[in-house]
Amino acid sequence: MRFLRLYGTFIALHLKKLMEYRIDFLTGAVSFLINQITNIVFIGIIFSQIPDLDGYLFYEIIFIYGFSLVPKGIDHLLTDNLWKVAWFIVRKGDFDKYLTRPISPLAHVIMEFVQFDALGELLTGIVLVVVASVKLSISYTAGKIVLMIIAMLFGTLIFTSIKIACSAIAFKIKQSGSILQIFYMTSDFARYPVTIYNEIVKNIITYIIPFAFTAYYPASYILRGNDPVFCIGGTVVLSLILFGFSLIVWQKGISAYESAGS
Amino acid sequence: MSNIKARGIGFINTYKAFTKAGVQSSMAYRASFLCFVLGESLYCFVMYFIWKAVFSSSGNSTFMGFSMTDMTVYVFLSNLVGFLTSTDSTENLADEIHDGSIIMRMIKPVNVDFSLLAFELGNKVMMITCVFLPVMIGVEIYRFTVLGYCAFHIGNFLLFVVSTVISYLLAFYLNLIFGYLAFFLMNIWGFSILKGSLIKFFSGSLIPLAFFPGAVRVVFEQLPFASLVYVPTMLYMGKYSGWEIVFVLAKQILWLGVFIYISKVIWKWAQKRLAVQGG
Amino acid sequence: MIYVENVTKEFKKTVKNPGLAGSVKSLFHREYETVKAVDDISFEVPKGEILGFIGANGAGKSTTIKMLTGILTPTEGKVEINGQIPFKNRKKYVKEIGVVFGQRTQLWWDLPLLETFSVLKQIYQVDEEQFKTRMAFLNEVLELDDFIKSPVRTLSLGQRMRADLAASLIHNPKVLFLDEPTIGLDVAVKNNIRKAITQINEQEKTTIILTTHDLNDIETLCKRIVMIDKGKIMYDGALSEMKQQYGKYREVNMSLFQNEDYEQLHFEEDLKLGGDDLKVVRNKEKITVTFHSDKISVSDLLSYILNKTQVKDISVNDVNIEEIVCRMYGNGVSAS
Repeated sequence: MRFLRLYGTFIALHLKKLMEYRIDFLTGAVSFLINQITNIVFIGIIFSQIPDLDGYLFYEIIFIYGFSLVPKGIDHLLTDNLWKVAWFIVRKGDFDKYLTRPISPLAHVIMEFVQFDALGELLTGIVLVVVASVKLSISYTAGKIVLMIIAMLFGTLIFTSIKIACSAIAFKIKQSGSILQIFYMTSDFARYPVTIYNEIVKNIITYIIPFAFTAYYPASYILRGNDPVFCIGGTVVLSLILFGFSLIVWQKGISAYESAGS
Repeated sequence: MSNIKARGIGFINTYKAFTKAGVQSSMAYRASFLCFVLGESLYCFVMYFIWKAVFSSSGNSTFMGFSMTDMTVYVFLSNLVGFLTSTDSTENLADEIHDGSIIMRMIKPVNVDFSLLAFELGNKVMMITCVFLPVMIGVEIYRFTVLGYCAFHIGNFLLFVVSTVISYLLAFYLNLIFGYLAFFLMNIWGFSILKGSLIKFFSGSLIPLAFFPGAVRVVFEQLPFASLVYVPTMLYMGKYSGWEIVFVLAKQILWLGVFIYISKVIWKWAQKRLAVQGG
Repeated sequence: MIYVENVTKEFKKTVKNPGLAGSVKSLFHREYETVKAVDDISFEVPKGEILGFIGANGAGKSTTIKMLTGILTPTEGKVEINGQIPFKNRKKYVKEIGVVFGQRTQLWWDLPLLETFSVLKQIYQVDEEQFKTRMAFLNEVLELDDFIKSPVRTLSLGQRMRADLAASLIHNPKVLFLDEPTIGLDVAVKNNIRKAITQINEQEKTTIILTTHDLNDIETLCKRIVMIDKGKIMYDGALSEMKQQYGKYREVNMSLFQNEDYEQLHFEEDLKLGGDDLKVVRNKEKITVTFHSDKISVSDLLSYILNKTQVKDISVNDVNIEEIVCRMYGNGVSAS
């Protein structure tokens, strides 16, 4: 409760800042929007020549793609400061501040920054999911919608956990931005049906770095009615396991933290 | 004549220091460099699998004039070119503009673009040995196993090298111009994302420009972005012939000239502005 | 209040081999060496005291402060502050301390100062009423009113330091750690900050540990100092005692009616004193004679000078602490 209030304060402060730097916000949001649009054009051009991709129709691919942007966007919006931990907060010794405050350093560092640029990504995702749902005339039930929202939230947790674990490596080696970048980039695989990949890639993104559960699996439940226990349950279970793991890594990292200088 | 030569040596000595610094810094960051390479190759593999699915779904052995082998070579090579010609000059320049250290470049008796360029050249040495050669060899081995004969063409390769060098310079000046935007804009990071996705799209990194419908394709091919990735890649693949080759190379050089000119104009303007406002 | 017992902090450092072969080797196999940043130190600080913590760069000051504030965990030894062990129960512990790192701010760069305080108020769970009286007090002591609505990035260094000091005090801490609080400030601002620190210490009985390179800070603020060098404590005691023990030096500052008169003074031959015991520095008209007061009494020296020359102006002073510290380092007091 106290955390939520504090988070609320931070968000309000960032909104004020947003008004001050309106042009920068627009550049950021539009940039992420255009980035997504080019990818959609790419999908469009492919589909101008083929009726379906590995059995998936154009709007089904769009649905999966849009779905993938929602957890990614929410995580991007809320936990962007972890990138800074990985790249320079630890290296420059600026992490000291968080350790002298009476709240969890992880919560503190995450709450401190809200990345509104992510709204471009998030809105594209939502629009794509809605448009694709209409075009495919997916029949939603209340249960389906609830499951979808659950999957999106726990999918966000997968992103956040990976970011926490990777940025915590910086405590040990000073800078882990590039490691985080690689793990983060594997999420590119999750935008398309995992059935197009070979077994190795498929197993990696299903069980090891489970980005497939941030989009494809939950989406395949909505689109094809695939087993919800695996598709949604898998998202919940794996994200919780990953989150627990990332907290352990973070805790270990903090105890290895050596600050900067003498 | 000897005067020119002496000036040339002086010029090289001045900028050699920057190049050396570039090599050293890329050695120092070899871990992040390695990670970056890995990330880029991951992206290539995503694209590879998508195209594979496209080919198997289309039921044809060719897709808009490209075979699956062509497509694979295109994916890896175009990303290689994109990688080789990538430059941090936008971000470096933007950082310097924001923290005011751009002034330091003005008071040194060196040229802004040459000092940045010389520094990056050091980075490129590392890229060429660690990335360029392995990818080239990998691509050729792949082609050999699929086609059953060696498709490597020395003439095309040389054209590719020439074109890539021009493309790098073009990318460098283009990025420099983007970097100057930091005079107006704080969120240069968001802007970099925009720049990156536009270049990826218009340069043919994402989709071969040949796949765009008629008129769109013609327009895209004339834009400077095409010279960045599409032209060198297509030259390597031997998709141009005769006068076409001369024509695309000439276009590259023309655009390079235009961008150098624009960057000079902006730099002059920036100097005046800084002199008046004191940063 | 503060107990530090046999505390040691070791860091592992990678050994870098020179050359390309070295860096290739270090890719696969890293060698470590252990560096002792702090080596078996012990001291106590009673409630309400201002302790000056001095030492050269890399002597182990910051590492010690970071252990006391719970940022770093000691490799060995015991730290207890307010009856708590800093790195255990960290969240509970830090509620009772305030920290200022002079070299970096804990304020939010883009936010107006007032907003920073209201966020800190929430973080430290200070209730509205306490917050108001607290802000009024801090306002009075640190004069924040002029810039409290400005974004932190627009503040001058002096304003920023005042703001940082206020931020560290918002929750009424029992112990305040100040790591170089006057670094980079001009003399007038330094005086302001010192005055504020004194006032806070007197009114609230806050225990303060202060590190600094500016020995004027020490002289105006601290009665007691701990000096650290190469991770070990060289001196722990009253400032006045240190001055007595190591500071039996005095200086005579004078100027003469006629500068040529200076030629009449032959300290070395007439008084048989030289080297460390008596030094003369001439700066235009101003002559400074530094001497050891055990070797020659003030009156003997003055009568010698006054006999030989016509003095326009003369005064006898204690040697300032900076001089003493330099001598201590120079003489390797750590060995004694």
